[in-house]
Parts: sequence; C-alpha cells; structure tokens
Amino acid sequence: MVCNSGASLVPSIDGSLHHFNNVGLYDALFVMQDTETKTLWNHITGEALYGPLAGRTLGPIGNLLPMNVKQALESDPRTQIAISDQPYLAGGKQFGSGGAMHGGAGTNGPASNAKLSDMFVQTLGKEDTRRPRMDLGLGVWSSESSRYYPLELIRKRGRAFIDRIDGKRTLIYIDPETNNPAAVFVNASAAQFAGSDVRLDDGTVLRAGVLLDRRGKPRSVQRPLQMFTRWYGFALTFPGSQVVGQ
Amino acid sequence: MPQQDNSARFVNPVPVAAAVCILLPFAAYSQSASPQKTERPQRESLPADLPQGPAKPGFEPSRFSNAGNGWFKTFYVTETQPLQNALNGGKVAADTRVLVLATAGGKLALLTDQMSYHHIAEGTAGRKTWMATF
Repeated sequence: MVCNSGASLVPSIDGSLHHFNNVGLYDALFVMQDTETKTLWNHITGEALYGPLAGRTLGPIGNLLPMNVKQALESDPRTQIAISDQPYLAGGKQFGSGGAMHGGAGTNGPASNAKLSDMFVQTLGKEDTRRPRMDLGLGVWSSESSRYYPLELIRKRGRAFIDRIDGKRTLIYIDPETNNPAAVFVNASAAQFAGSDVRLDDGTVLRAGVLLDRRGKPRSVQRPLQMFTRWYGFALTFPGSQVVGQ
Repeated sequence: MPQQDNSARFVNPVPVAAAVCILLPFAAYSQSASPQKTERPQRESLPADLPQGPAKPGFEPSRFSNAGNGWFKTFYVTETQPLQNALNGGKVAADTRVLVLATAGGKLALLTDQMSYHHIAEGTAGRKTWMATF
C-alpha cells in the first residue's frame, strides 16, 4: 500500500473464521471489510471501525517484517513461503500468470518521492504536520506508547543506535541489505556498524537481521510492534505519537 | 442492504485509471529485468455494501471512500512450501523481498510484490488462523 504499512492479525472472531476484503480507503489507508458482518476494519490495528462489530479487535497483533529471502532463511531455515498466481519478480525474471504486475517494493523499498493522489487525500483526517506527509520512517508502538523514527534521523545517528522503548533497551537500525529500518530488543547500551554488522557493546552482533552471541550462535530475539511506514499513515493511526529527534 | 442510501454519505468513487498512478508509486524497480506492465482496463470501483453502523468513536463515515473496492483479491493460502526449496528451485532469489509473519505453524513468508496486489492474505497453520495485511 502507499503508506507501506502492514501487520499480522487474527481473522477469527469468537472462534469463527471471517473473510476479509479490501473495500476502500480511510485516512488514505486501505480499509478491510469482513464478508460475514460487513464491518469495516483498520488493517494496521485490527480495530473494527464501523459496523456491528465496532469496538472489536482482530488481535493479538503481530509484526509483518519486511526482509529478503536470504535474511528470512538465516533467521529461521524452516520458514515456509506461500506463492499465489500473481506476478512477481525474482532473480531478474518475472513469475506468475495472474495478471499485470502491481506495484511491489522492488529491491529498493518504497519510493521516497511518492505523492498521494486526490483519491487518497480526500479521505485524510486532520494531519499531523510535524513531518512531511510522505516521510518514511520506522513506527514502533505498544499498548503504552507509540513513536516514530524518521529514516533521516536513523541515518544521521550512524544507522544504528540504542533507545529505550517502554523501559526496554532497543536497537534501532537500518538493515544494510534491504535499507529497511527495524527495531529489536537488546541488552546493550551502544551500537555501531562494522561493515554490514551491527556490533553491540555487550559482545553481541546483529548480522543479516540475526542477533549472534559472543560465540557467533544465533539468539532468539524479541521485537516491538513495528512497521516501516510513511508518516501520514502512522500519525493518523497513532495520534500523538512521539517523533524521535524533535 | 440499502446500499445506495449508505454509499451516498461517503466520498465519491474514482476511475481505476486515476488511481493506478498512486497505487504504483513503488514501481521504481532496480532489478535487471523490468516487469512487464500492461495497461489496466478502466473500471469503476464497486459500491461498498455497508452496514448501518455503529461507528467506533472518532470514525467519520463521510471520509470513507470505496475507491479500489473490487480491484484486489485476498490471497487465501491453501498450501505452502519450504522457502529453502523455493530458493533452490529458482522460484525466488536470495534478494527477493518478502514479508514474514509468525504463525502457529512457524514463520511464513509472503512475496512483497504479490502482497502489493492482494493486500490481505489469510490462512491456517498449526490449527490457528492467521492474516497478513499490507
């Protein structure tokens, strides 16, 4: 989607599976509707916006993490993949037969110069002007707080630094392979890039999205809820978010 | 369902051709082979079949638009394969972009290119349902 946001949700309500479709726009974000009740749903928070299930949530919410195939396998060699009939690019070839190529993120991620057409703009609520509408950054949130790290700020801070989110030390970094910003909980208090590794002052190393201990063995990691997003989408979804660096 | 009555309160739909311009802002591919892009037929968004409410506090129905309704198809996942096999078989490359979620059956990757069309994927793994939105 234009705002590049995504999430993992649970499509079952009171034990019953519901089926969801993209039926329109609100706040310039796509809106889902379940065919069973016609309720409209926010696709990031999973909240029911309008209809008989208003107030319900498709939770618990999880991350939908952008990465490449190599990183997914290094993170977990048992990772499965689901491939539909829609076209996609891989290794310089186009696969799939289900129609015309749609706007994927390619290998460079979302374009920094994208603009919103009137179709999207007319659905926007009151915008938060602390950042440009289409600014790219990392949005992180929990039940207690939400904050936005402009991509520009992460770059200025050496592409990797430690912050505290809800009291937990958190590494904020830009992945060197995909250029995606990301966040992961760590025990360290300082971080810096060394080649394509992020070296942490507790002796651990983040390599290709995998946290390695002093012996080079992968450690299980926890990540806060996050998304690589555009400012307008994050700000309208999480009003009053803290903007880190300003 | 009194569809006409409800849709009258919402933002007017727009033709697909106008929307494609913005739905494809990410199409700045850097890979060696450019995707084959075909002209999309001009079509209207389908009217939204909306309930009579209620609305979550703060939701303004007048700002909902049915733009894009009917253009996209949810990906109902019925089969998966090991990502390593897909890589070995040349179905994906090491630098192919994916979106990864945790399901009750383990990690699952979806192709970013395909999710830019589907926007929603649903399935069951480990006897539990999952959904990805993008």
